[in-house]
Amino acid sequence: MSYRESVRSGGALLWFFQRVTGVYLAVVLFLHVIMTHVLIRGELSFDQVADRVATPLWKTVDISFLVVALFHGLYGLWIVLDDYIHRDWLRVLLYGGIAIAALVFTTLGILTLLPFQAGG
Amino acid sequence: MAMMTFKIHRFNPDDERRGRYVQEYQVDVRKGMTILDCLNEIKWKQDGTLTFRRSCRSGICGSCAMWVNGMNRLACETQAATLGSNRIEIRPMPGYPVVKDLAVSLDPLVRGLMAVKPWLIANGPPPTDQERLQSPEEREKLLGLYECILCGACTSSCPSFWADGDYIGPHAFLKAYRFVADSRDDGAKAHLDACDDKHGLWRCHTIFNCVEACPKDLNPTKAISELKKELVRRKIG
Ligand code: SF4
Ligand code: FES
Repeated sequence: MSYRESVRSGGALLWFFQRVTGVYLAVVLFLHVIMTHVLIRGELSFDQVADRVATPLWKTVDISFLVVALFHGLYGLWIVLDDYIHRDWLRVLLYGGIAIAALVFTTLGILTLLPFQAGG
Repeated sequence: MAMMTFKIHRFNPDDERRGRYVQEYQVDVRKGMTILDCLNEIKWKQDGTLTFRRSCRSGICGSCAMWVNGMNRLACETQAATLGSNRIEIRPMPGYPVVKDLAVSLDPLVRGLMAVKPWLIANGPPPTDQERLQSPEEREKLLGLYECILCGACTSSCPSFWADGDYIGPHAFLKAYRFVADSRDDGAKAHLDACDDKHGLWRCHTIFNCVEACPKDLNPTKAISELKKELVRRKIG
């Protein structure tokens, strides 16, 4: 029986980041539900939400929400693939897919949020 | 006294084409008989070809770990009557290559163990006139870490190990932390670096199967969390 050479992973920071983003998501999600469904006055309507989303503060919160949620979700998927997919070509294909998804969704989200104006 | 049916998963390396198959035996189980006693009864009186590993028959050597009614257990520490059923199914521990019947190869377990450098790494030589000493408080930190009997039940129960046969495994991580936590050890970095591996710590998803499986009530999941925390602490300073 031979001993394995160690293959360093450096996964510590990513692991830590996954925890931190998890906590952040829980907090922002809670805030989102409170703002949208509890503190709302009258009927929930597009205009009401639009007024809020158009402010710089909420744009910042929502963009951070977007980036953090995408990181957390896609990195989670990445980890699952790491566990179960061992064939090289398939890994390249699926990891490529995840990277592209991250890029596309981040761009789309930011393009939607940044120029957003109320009553438009 | 109760007649019990033992469904035993068997494999004969001399008849590989047959693959794994199930064979049933009846055993008259008397009060206090363990699973190991029942297996001995079968081997000695009914079927001498049945193969399983055992040595100390008192929960010390770790040889007799096997899958009994849905869980990895020590055959010599499990009384048949406590399983709450007259039908007892026994398989070799999952995840390891089967050598014959209930005997598995523990090579993957030992490979993981050796990867984490499971020995005391000390910078200086020991004092000439005495052993390397620790205070009672320092010694207390090793409780729950040093008692492992190397049965392999934890690593065999881990889904991460099922998915990746090179996974270092909960047993090895418990051992690694046993040295990281030892006041006499100067090699924390070496143990931690070995755990920070592609097949290492980050493959653990806190599933807790190892905790449930351990016949010595140890907690490999907690040891893994401590190692993860320590690695992160060293990274972000
Ligand atoms: S930690 Fe428990 S289950 Fe794992 S090898 Fe040691 S004694 Fe067996
Ligand atoms: S025979 Fe030694 S632990 Fe069971």
